[in-house]
Amino acid sequence: MSFVPGLGMLRGMALTLRRFFEPKATIKYPEVKADYATKYRGRLQLLYDEHGTLKCETCFQCAQACPIECIDMGGIDTKGRFHVHWGPPETYGERREESALRRSGRTVPDRAYEHFEPIPIDPVVAILDRYDYDPKEMLRILEAVQDEYGYLPVSAIKTISATTGAWYAMIYGTASYYRHLRFERPLTTIGICRCTACLLAGAGRIADALEDELGSRVGSVASDGGIRLARLDGHLPGAPSPLVTIDGEPTREITETNAATWIRALTGRTAA
Amino acid sequence: MTTLLQTPTAWPRVLLERATDGTTGSTRRASATETTLPDGAFGALVDAIRDLGQGGTLEQVTASGLRGRGGAGFPTGEKWRACAAQPSGRRFVVANGYGADPAVFTDGALMAADPWAVVEGVAIAAFAVGASEAVIAVRADAGAAIAGLESAILAGEGAGFLGPDILGTGWQLSIVVRAVQGAYMLGEETVLLKALEGKRGQPEQRPPYPTERGLFGQPTVVNNVQTLAAVPWIVRHGARAYAAIGSSASPGTMLVQVRGPLGDGIAEVPIGTPIREIVALATSGDGDGHPRPKRDGTRGAASSRSTGSSRTTASSSRQGATPASATKAVLVGGPAGGLLPPELLDTPFEFEALRAVGAHVGSGSIVVADQRACTVDLARLLTTYCSDEACGKSIPCRIGLRRLAEIGDRITTGRPKPTDSQLLVDLAHDVAESGLCEHERLATLPLLSGMRYFGPELDEHILRSSCPAGVCRPIAVAGKPAPQPSVPSA
Repeated sequence: MSFVPGLGMLRGMALTLRRFFEPKATIKYPEVKADYATKYRGRLQLLYDEHGTLKCETCFQCAQACPIECIDMGGIDTKGRFHVHWGPPETYGERREESALRRSGRTVPDRAYEHFEPIPIDPVVAILDRYDYDPKEMLRILEAVQDEYGYLPVSAIKTISATTGAWYAMIYGTASYYRHLRFERPLTTIGICRCTACLLAGAGRIADALEDELGSRVGSVASDGGIRLARLDGHLPGAPSPLVTIDGEPTREITETNAATWIRALTGRTAA
Repeated sequence: MTTLLQTPTAWPRVLLERATDGTTGSTRRASATETTLPDGAFGALVDAIRDLGQGGTLEQVTASGLRGRGGAGFPTGEKWRACAAQPSGRRFVVANGYGADPAVFTDGALMAADPWAVVEGVAIAAFAVGASEAVIAVRADAGAAIAGLESAILAGEGAGFLGPDILGTGWQLSIVVRAVQGAYMLGEETVLLKALEGKRGQPEQRPPYPTERGLFGQPTVVNNVQTLAAVPWIVRHGARAYAAIGSSASPGTMLVQVRGPLGDGIAEVPIGTPIREIVALATSGDGDGHPRPKRDGTRGAASSRSTGSSRTTASSSRQGATPASATKAVLVGGPAGGLLPPELLDTPFEFEALRAVGAHVGSGSIVVADQRACTVDLARLLTTYCSDEACGKSIPCRIGLRRLAEIGDRITTGRPKPTDSQLLVDLAHDVAESGLCEHERLATLPLLSGMRYFGPELDEHILRSSCPAGVCRPIAVAGKPAPQPSVPSA
């Protein structure tokens, strides 16, 4: 093509304009949350400024926000006096608190401690006694604790961590991995079988419809309704396909088309 | 209730030698409480200890050509030898009876029908590799299997076949039954070992294989319960008799569960049997879905058959010349299996042959889909399942499978990108090649085999935004009449 003056600039501006009207990729974080994989655990990355100096000021805000307390750090305090390093993740729970609050100079409510509901701890001690405080029996200890309380209270996990010597983060990792262990009190659970025969018969589409209606993915808890969508571990012998259960009871009532009605009935919501 | 399908009398029975036909569970639950030894129980263990010795037992198992039934098909004799050769004072035998595939109860049915064979197989394996501790891992919801195994172990200990100083040899063995649950990945051997150690279930890099560093860092043999249950038979009847069963590359039998609109049941089939014959056991048809004159005893579950046929008649008019009940695809190998077209029904059910056509033996599951199913939708749902079940340890698996599932979503909802099919193939191969464990290598199979064999149907979705089977939303909204397939009718 022959040379046309200004064409390059027009092309450039066209790109600018196109990008200008394209949908934005920015996710407005606290309001909108990115759709991460259920078991995504994230990766820590420290940023450097233009001089190549680490931007991290060892302010411990990230360590404080981390729900499983796996963030650990070392550094120099703001006056350049004390080298601070905090030991294995579960040991700095108390010290971090003191230090971070002293740094900020005022009392800051610590979200990490809000869910530390006090529980009667004797059953946990009895269970630990039964399994000889052996971290190798962690799965059975956690299952026994859940049988006792109906869920895994944070205080119980703290106690297990302190007495068996297993890191809190490790126990949390184990407990969050297995589907039958839970951290909240049980709710209404709608189970959907994901076996191949049920998928063929439409279980996947029922799950999609329920997910759309609840706004939560299978495996997680809906924010408002107190309904959990769960995968069934196995297809009950002789049960119909697609197999859907409400609190363990198989039902043939929920279908792809009436999922919305069912959710409204279960949550007590009225039709929008 | 899971039905044991009646197999032709010419087919040998190795695993279900002592089981009766019909339903497992109710009849067998009675045996869970009795603690008397059945005839011939632990006879093979006595033979192995008295006549064969440790080397002789390894010799027999290697000569029999027995391969692991967990899906990978690793030669069992070699695995045992590798473990026995490790210098260690403490070895473990782990029997994997988890049976991760939610649609398949073969392992549970075997342990409920004949817990003795499993316990004896574990004992022989422990003797051969010199282990004194063994664990049988069972699904927590398989109550009959757990009760049966525990009473078998108690009876064995009472009779002196298990426990301290077995048969005066000074060798001791304790077998523990562990109920595990909560993750699909527990079927993978290193994940199962992690669960037994009380840790988060994520696979380990191999090598070192579990035979070098397994449970609690000690040499460990991990075998499927079906593998171990075949061992007493091999010791009793000899390696040559076992090697004569099935195909020459992988002898023996395997439990297969067939599910589909026409029938459902478990059958013990010699490895190398064509898939068509296995499917015919359950559907009492010729495998193409065409009903065959009824023969006594070959029918699957009568109830599921009747519901299946009533549903098929409703939608059969739409398909024109092809009846709706005709087989459209066969899913072989569980959720991460391959979708095979009816033309490949003559493929032998055997490790290498299935791998060659893009499926795998896997959990021993065969699911039949008829013409009402949309293979693209099915492949998408299976990939979503595999991605949901990914443990999160390796990145190609955690993110790659998620992206694959998203591509499947785009195709089935009518907004594919032009590059999607190329991206899907590239990404699937990247995921499969960089996989840490078998899960991610196999999880790409549904989409890849779907593309390979059902390309025209995929093209319909991508190019014309129509679903020939009338399944996918919002291309064809369920409940409304499906758009006419734009394929010219023959």
